[in-house]
Parts: sequence; structure tokens; C-alpha cells
Amino acid sequence: MNVLQSDAPLIVYVDIKSPYAFVAIRPTLALEADLGLQFDWRPLTLDIPSYLGSAEKKAGKVVASKGRSQKTWNAIRYSYRDARRYAERQGLMLKGTEKIWDSTLPNIGILWVMQTARDRLGAYFEAVYPPFWRRELDIEDISVVETCLRDAGIEADGFAAFADGAGRAQHDALQPQFHPNGIYGVPSYVLGDEIFFGREHIPYLRWALTGRDGVAPDIAYEIA
Amino acid sequence: MLTVYIDFKSPAAYLAIKPTLDLASRLSLALTWRPFQTVERDVPKLGKEETVGESHRRVRSASQRALAIKYAGHQGIDLQFPLHPGETDLALAVLAELEGDRLPFVEAAFAAYWKDHADLNDPAIVQEIIAASGVVYTCDLNTAHESLGIALKQAEDAGIVGAPAYVIAEQIFVGREHLPWIEEIARAEAG
Repeated sequence: MNVLQSDAPLIVYVDIKSPYAFVAIRPTLALEADLGLQFDWRPLTLDIPSYLGSAEKKAGKVVASKGRSQKTWNAIRYSYRDARRYAERQGLMLKGTEKIWDSTLPNIGILWVMQTARDRLGAYFEAVYPPFWRRELDIEDISVVETCLRDAGIEADGFAAFADGAGRAQHDALQPQFHPNGIYGVPSYVLGDEIFFGREHIPYLRWALTGRDGVAPDIAYEIA
Repeated sequence: MLTVYIDFKSPAAYLAIKPTLDLASRLSLALTWRPFQTVERDVPKLGKEETVGESHRRVRSASQRALAIKYAGHQGIDLQFPLHPGETDLALAVLAELEGDRLPFVEAAFAAYWKDHADLNDPAIVQEIIAASGVVYTCDLNTAHESLGIALKQAEDAGIVGAPAYVIAEQIFVGREHLPWIEEIARAEAG
């Protein structure tokens, strides 16, 4: 799988553990539905400590932190507050995570759903994202991911083997391709040879996917 | 009233000017311009032995630049990044001290930085911008940095983490992508 190529009109990269991706899911699904298109959704599993340092919290208090300056902390706190208020506008709860999770399993789940039950993808995101951001899911436990699949009406038999075999291989083959191809975060959108980071580009994507008529819109977080 | 924190060397702040002025015009909204220091860096060069973090920062920086140029084009702006990010402290200090309408100075300083790649830390250049923009500046350029220090501390204490940052109804929004929500708040405040 080439990170920039797809038969779909748009490739969307997301990571379950990203608050930015969390608040982008519903608007992007809405764009897909509005336009009557099927996007190619794929996982990008972020290596957060490599660029933001790492931290661990217990009972809301930071108990361990590595490689984070005060400015980095301030920016991270703002980012969470910002994502939270937009999540709340969507009727969702967003609690800061207490550690940096390994989201590989639920991200492989995206590949599983895309290949076995494409029409249930939205249901899968609803089964994983909101409870994870309410701190109700241990996404590192494969049985938890299997339960999410079943809750979304998706066959979970065979997922464990997929996550350990072909799915893992597909996931792992994507990851080293991102930086060399100009992709670094989520949500990222690939539209032909254009790459966009962030849901603020949804107005532009809608304009581009509907014929590029008139003036291109500026970046904006669309609000309902 | 909408408070807008800017740095003249920030491409995001530069590209926010037109949509922010458009919003203010639509809603007859008063704007207050305040200084904030952003950190702008060259796009890192591809290293022979890059860590994942270094690679991330290089790709992110190049992507942000490319998108800024793309959206600038949609505004009719030919965005040319200077060879290296320049200094803007003195112009920001003047912004902190200006009384009355600061917009003419804001527009002139952005144009000087982005069109002429002017050094906005050079007293002669900043004096030219003051004169050309027609604003009344009664303070002393030699001591203006003190005012900037105070203004930046106030911004930091207020929780500003980037530019452009907007403050309205005690909420902080960083980036012009928030203008739809800011407009909603402004309309609600206007009744």
C-alpha cells in the first residue's frame, strides 16, 4: 500500500489516540456522506514521544515527564482544551489521557473494517473513539478491540490473526512511508498530490471534491 | 471587542489579517491588536542521521510552509518566506505602546516584513513604518523593549500560546480557523 495512492478520491489518515483526529472523525464522515463518496481511511500510528516528549498522569497529576519544556506543556494544554470544546459541541466528552497509549491494535482495526465491513466504518469509530476519550477503553487489549468491532456490528473472528499477521504487516509497512512523503500527523488528507494536515481544510476539500467552482475557501473549523 | 495577538514574522498571523478584518467589518466589531512573540524557524535540512523527532519537525515545517503559500495564493498574496526568519521585536514593542488605531501600523509592518523582508528590529526601518503608516507614536524607541517585555508577560499570563490568537468572551482561540466560532460568539454578544 503506497501512502499517497488510492482508487478513492481522498485518503484520510487517523489515529485513535489523537484528540485532533477524534474531533475530525464526525466532520469527515459527514463530508463523505454529503458528497456521496467513499474515502480511503487508513491508520497513522503517531510516535508522540519522538516529537512532544512523554508524560504520565495519575489521578489528573503529572507523575512523570520527559523532554517537555514549559512552552511545550502550555501548547499541549491549550490543544487539549481546544479539542475538548469542539468535542463538546459534537456532544462528545474528551478527557486527557493518563499515558501515551499504543494505539496500534485499534488502528489495525481500521484496516480490518475497511477490508471486511466498509459500510460499518462509522459505527466502528463510534464504538472506539468516544469511549476511549471517556477513558473507558484499554485499547492495548485485543479483546477490547474485538468487543468494539462486535458492538459496531462487525465480525471479529479472525481479527486477532489479522492483527498479528497481514493487518500488522500492512500497518507496519505504512508507517515508514509517512515522513518521506510529507505526512507527519493526523488527521491528514491526501487529495491527489495535495496533502493537508488538520480538519480546518475540510472546506477546501469539499470545494475541491465538488469541482473547484468559485473562490477556494479559507481554512475553518466548521461549526454546526 | 475582539483582541488579536500577532507577530509580524508569523505567516499564520499575516494570513489572518484579511479574514479578521472582514469579520470585524461584517459585525462592526472593534479590534485590539496586541504583540506576541512566535518562534519561527527555517525548514530544517534533511540530515544524514535524523531522529524520528527531527524528521517529524522537518516534515511538519515544510508542510506548514507549503500550506501557507497555497492559502496565501487564494488571498492573492504571493507569500515569499525570507531566507531566514527575521527579528520583529522592535515593531512589536511599538505595537504595544501605540495609542489609538493600531491597524495602519499593523498592516504596514506586515507588508514591510513579508513584501520587503525588512528587519523589524532596526530602529530606522521601524521609524519609517511609523511615519508611513501615519500613526502617532509618542514613546521612545530606545526604551520600547521594556514595554514589549511587559506586554509579553501579560500575554503569557493570559494563556496565549501562539499567533494569531483571539480573545473574546474570555475564550482564547489560536488560529484563523476558529473565526466561525468567534463570529458566533460576537453575534451572540451583539444580541
